[in-house]
Amino acid sequence: MKASALTPLHILSRVGAALLGGYCFVWGVTTLGIVLATALGMSFSEARTLFYLLAFLLFTAVFCWAFAAASHGRAWLVLAGGGAAMTLLGWLLAH
Amino acid sequence: MLQTFRQSMAWLHTWFGLVLGFVLMAVFFFGSLSVFDREIDRWALPETRFEPQPMPSYDNLLADIFAGMEAEEEELEAARKRIGGELPAQLQPTGWGAYTTHRDPVLDVFAEYSVPNPKDPFDHAHGHLTLDPRIGAILPHDSLKIGSEFFYPLHYSLHIEWKQLGTWIVGVAALIMLVALVSGVIIHRRLFRELFTFRPGKRTQRSSLDLHNLTGVVALPFHFIFALSGLTIFAFLYLPVGETVLTTPVQAHLMEEAVSRGLPFEPAGEAAAIASVDAMMVEAKKRWAERGMPGEVGFLWVTHPGDRNSFVSIFRAGSDRVAFVGQGVHFDAVSGRVLYEEPPPTVIAGINEFLTGLHLQHFEHWPLRWLYLLGGLLGCTCIATGFIFFTEKRKRNLNDATLVRWVDALAVTAVTGMLVATGAILVANRLLPAELPHRSGWEQTVFWMAWLLTLAHALWRGRAVSGCLSPAWREQCWAIALLAVTAVALNWITTGDHLLKTVLTDRYWPVAGFDLALLASAAIALRTAFMLRTRERAAARIEHKELLAMEVARG
Repeated sequence: MKASALTPLHILSRVGAALLGGYCFVWGVTTLGIVLATALGMSFSEARTLFYLLAFLLFTAVFCWAFAAASHGRAWLVLAGGGAAMTLLGWLLAH
Repeated sequence: MLQTFRQSMAWLHTWFGLVLGFVLMAVFFFGSLSVFDREIDRWALPETRFEPQPMPSYDNLLADIFAGMEAEEEELEAARKRIGGELPAQLQPTGWGAYTTHRDPVLDVFAEYSVPNPKDPFDHAHGHLTLDPRIGAILPHDSLKIGSEFFYPLHYSLHIEWKQLGTWIVGVAALIMLVALVSGVIIHRRLFRELFTFRPGKRTQRSSLDLHNLTGVVALPFHFIFALSGLTIFAFLYLPVGETVLTTPVQAHLMEEAVSRGLPFEPAGEAAAIASVDAMMVEAKKRWAERGMPGEVGFLWVTHPGDRNSFVSIFRAGSDRVAFVGQGVHFDAVSGRVLYEEPPPTVIAGINEFLTGLHLQHFEHWPLRWLYLLGGLLGCTCIATGFIFFTEKRKRNLNDATLVRWVDALAVTAVTGMLVATGAILVANRLLPAELPHRSGWEQTVFWMAWLLTLAHALWRGRAVSGCLSPAWREQCWAIALLAVTAVALNWITTGDHLLKTVLTDRYWPVAGFDLALLASAAIALRTAFMLRTRERAAARIEHKELLAMEVARG
């Protein structure tokens, strides 16, 4: 194990990417998903229930991935960046 | 993060499991106790030791109770702070409700009052009371239902109410539980073999890992489903997208859905008398029977009571199925005719109701209830052995001495300390005088103080000796046994309900079951304490021999 080679800052960045980035990503998927599903004719309550059911399975997967990703920069970019982009897109489509 | 995927997952499993494990321990244990929350309530409130009752008559009993209710003083105080001024002498009620299950002798009754607030048009204050539905007597306000009002909320909120921080912490812990299960499977791979591997005779480090793997694998689906459904139950709190980024379109959708149901959104502002709610309950039961699911009324809610636009919603008690469903029937309160009957759930809603029901278990199935308890306790075992493995593995590395000492003390506090605190609140419940002001507050104070004391004790007694647990574990086991036996004895002395009576002559399982569970816990704690003492003595003998050998060698 090369755990000793990890700087505290690096570990903190990974933890941040997994928790905050992961949360942002799940938020984005939920927002965009609800908007798209209602646009396709699903009722709002139904769409929200569907994405609430999927949200935490997805969070578990992206949380683990944040620690497996090749670099922490990439983890942040995909999770926080992707989450923000999906939220923005969902907001634009809904308004 | 590390060189291989499996190494990264092992890192994740170890450190997140350790940090959130302390929270998970409490979540699993008090969740397990919540399986029998109503029975613990009966133990703690002797005046409520009678058989479960159905929803009482609204017309003859509840109507008067609701009319005499008021918002609680703490609620009014908080409301005054929110609006920054005085409240009108009489607040307008916006809703009245009553709730019961197949395990409740007493009825929970709620009222909601509107608070004039320009900032939030939906601002309101609550009133709450507990009723003996046989005679309409109101239970003293200052009595703590230790099961459903203390252990159960502790399970999902840790009683940290500020900004619902506790529920957020439990949410992170549940996510980490899912992550720990996934990463645990990735680390081990040989899942089937783990089911049959337990070598208690080996070193503590090895046997604790065996037990960690065994309990983790044997209850894997249970743990996964419970962590996941716990998160989805609180998803509205964790992911409020509809109340933030999507407020405007969502409000439009919700309004549309509400209008399609034909239920009045706002009060009319005109007073009107309410029709017979008992007749509505009869009609709702008839409709459920016609749908092939005859049942009792579990939850009753009157919206805008006393107004011309008032309506009554009647929901079915879900004692006979897993899915947490209401089959609500909504009536016009003035005319008494049906406004809207909820249709059968869609596939997605059905899955959600099944998961929620599986977690909350309102169904009537006693063997399954005991299996839930077993599943929860297996989770506790898995977490506790995880702590022990963590410290044992690091005890020989002197660089880790401070870490090991702290983790060990926290583990003692999280495992045996939690049981000491639980025993302490039960003893306090039976010992504190009935007329003590803020009695329920004192019971809770005793719980937290006892838990804090166990931390102090664990830190004081802790020492890092490989293969030998800190004496704090053994000493707290003695305390658990003592408190559990004392609680049973005090229940006998203060209420006269001893086990011969509750099991044989005047059978009452809620109290008998809890007394027996306390005695079983005391027996296990005693056995554990004796085993730990034997091991400590054996280790001390070895240490002594080694010292002698060293002295002999030195000459």
